[in-house]
Amino acid sequence: MPIKSPFETDVAKAGHGEVILDLLPPSIPTLTTLTYKYPLKLLARTPGFVPRTSAQTCPSRPVHLYLLTYGGGLLPGDHIDVSITLKERTRMVVSTPQGSTKIFKTEPTASVKGQRGTPAHIATDMSRQMLDVRIDNEAAICYLPDPAVPYKDSRYEQAQTFTVDGTAPDSKRGSLCVLDWVTEGRSSRGETWDFHFWKGKNEVWSDDGSGSKKLLLRDSIILDDECDDAERDADNSHPNMIRERTHPHGIVGTLILYGPVYEKLASFILHRFTTQPRIGARNWSTSVSPAKSATESYSNTTNTNATWTAARVRAGFTLVKFGAPDFEAAKTWLGDLLREEGSVVREFGEEALICL
Amino acid sequence: MNTKNNTEDLEQEIADLESRLHNAKAQLASSHLAPRSAKPSSLSREPNGIPPSIPIHHALLLLSDSALPLGSFAYSSGLESYLAHNKPLPRSVTSIASFRRFLKLSIASLGSTSLPYVLNAYRYPETLETLDNDLDASTPCVVAQRASLAQGRALLGLWERAFRGSYGLYASSGSSMANGAGTAVNAVKALEDFLDALKSCFDHVDELGPKGHFSPLWGVVCFIMGMDLHQTAYVFMLNHAKAVLSAAVRASVMGPYQAQAILASKGLQEMIMQRIEREWDTNVEDAGQVVPPLDLWVGRHELLYSRIFNS
Repeated sequence: MPIKSPFETDVAKAGHGEVILDLLPPSIPTLTTLTYKYPLKLLARTPGFVPRTSAQTCPSRPVHLYLLTYGGGLLPGDHIDVSITLKERTRMVVSTPQGSTKIFKTEPTASVKGQRGTPAHIATDMSRQMLDVRIDNEAAICYLPDPAVPYKDSRYEQAQTFTVDGTAPDSKRGSLCVLDWVTEGRSSRGETWDFHFWKGKNEVWSDDGSGSKKLLLRDSIILDDECDDAERDADNSHPNMIRERTHPHGIVGTLILYGPVYEKLASFILHRFTTQPRIGARNWSTSVSPAKSATESYSNTTNTNATWTAARVRAGFTLVKFGAPDFEAAKTWLGDLLREEGSVVREFGEEALICL
Repeated sequence: MNTKNNTEDLEQEIADLESRLHNAKAQLASSHLAPRSAKPSSLSREPNGIPPSIPIHHALLLLSDSALPLGSFAYSSGLESYLAHNKPLPRSVTSIASFRRFLKLSIASLGSTSLPYVLNAYRYPETLETLDNDLDASTPCVVAQRASLAQGRALLGLWERAFRGSYGLYASSGSSMANGAGTAVNAVKALEDFLDALKSCFDHVDELGPKGHFSPLWGVVCFIMGMDLHQTAYVFMLNHAKAVLSAAVRASVMGPYQAQAILASKGLQEMIMQRIEREWDTNVEDAGQVVPPLDLWVGRHELLYSRIFNS
């Protein structure tokens, strides 16, 4: 498939990218559109993986899309805007092969031209990433990227919008699995939530085709140190509000599951959540059969580092929220959970879990 | 939403409210200094010549009453779970200090997640159904949803059985003071339509139909009852603080006098005012959780071995 030069001018704007995945007869996934422009780079690949057992009848081969940025991160003022359309029955795995999305720092003095702390000033030096995904019926996306790592003094905003057809019956709906997680920064350099602003918003809208849209799910995390540059300059000992509000976690995140492809996974996670040991309960394990207690103690040891909750919220969505002391703990916990259940690997191949 | 058209009005209103707040504070300060020197009537006089609406609003007293039958006492908004997750406390941290941290986080979180819905429902009552849907979509767990719905439906019940008689007629007779009469009628209509939609929803199960979340309903009911926007927001936040403090007393974190001391403290007032100011212009699209662990505590309330609260 032809890869266009990122410097070509027919692509509208810097940082914009567009992908349309269609299924050509009989069942050949084809990217009918793949455009991008600096600093964004998109690479696509169709591995030979064919789902053998699936929640859907005759599933198509998943296409892998790699989201890349020059330098593996976003500089102040960088805006990435990617639009993806998955036509009926297509499948896509989106991942970030460069590792975590680094959010580079905002120079406190360089960007100040006008008044300090004005919205215009904040808007220009904030890095931003927009992702807009349209999922047609029976299509599926698996988006398990590495976490965002906001460096000290950075500002970042991310909005991911997914649109599904709300009129489709349950078994024909599009499916999505989206992971959004953010770390405290470069902990090896002693950074603990030292950035200025991070906002991650994930929305799923239902579109009935006639143009009327309805919000199905909105998940939004705002980590804001709530002080302007003047306050920072005046007082270095300003309490770190983000650290206080995320304590005791070094990473927090959300996993959103929706649609028939992830139905089994959602049930598995919910079951695992509801059968977690009660908090504040006495340990009566002597009365439990040896085999059962062995599996339970196993799951206990693997789960101890992550604090998490799962709920079937509305319209068939399952929302998993978690916090962990560090990236490794969260990655291990989530990776083990997804591998143990097996749906993601079965439907998309082992490579879909590359970031976990 | 037609925010642009209203920006000037809102700015005007903010300036007005701020000057009124300033005046009220000045009066309060002077009345502390010279408690008996001024006649009581001077308290209701505005120095800049604007005639006061009503010095103490009748509806304000009703809505800020902790006996308002909303069932708020059944919810600890994550406090119970927070206590269980932070047990045992390190020796250097007292249970009061730990609670103060929770209260601060809880108020910040309420401000960023729910307050925008209160403010927007007050400003645009006709969007009640959309706000209700969007808040439902933004509620991350069943525990929080349960708490919000129970109180929202209690408020609807209260409207239907108690307030409608006085304020429904009152508003539609066109004598609303703070709000334009037309908009008050529209607000009553929006609320009644919502009530009808909610009732018809019980017959055929529509998972995405109207739900009855507390925050937007609070905004609309307060609007209909003639509360001003600042009061609406302040009472919303203060009632939450009261509920959390009351839960703390019942969870044996502190005694009732300590709870009242926190409730009366300048720190709490400032905290609430600061959150309101911060979220004053926040669109509901930009509402979000600023305290991620709170979602975990609330969600994991279901895992507690023993519970005395519903959230």
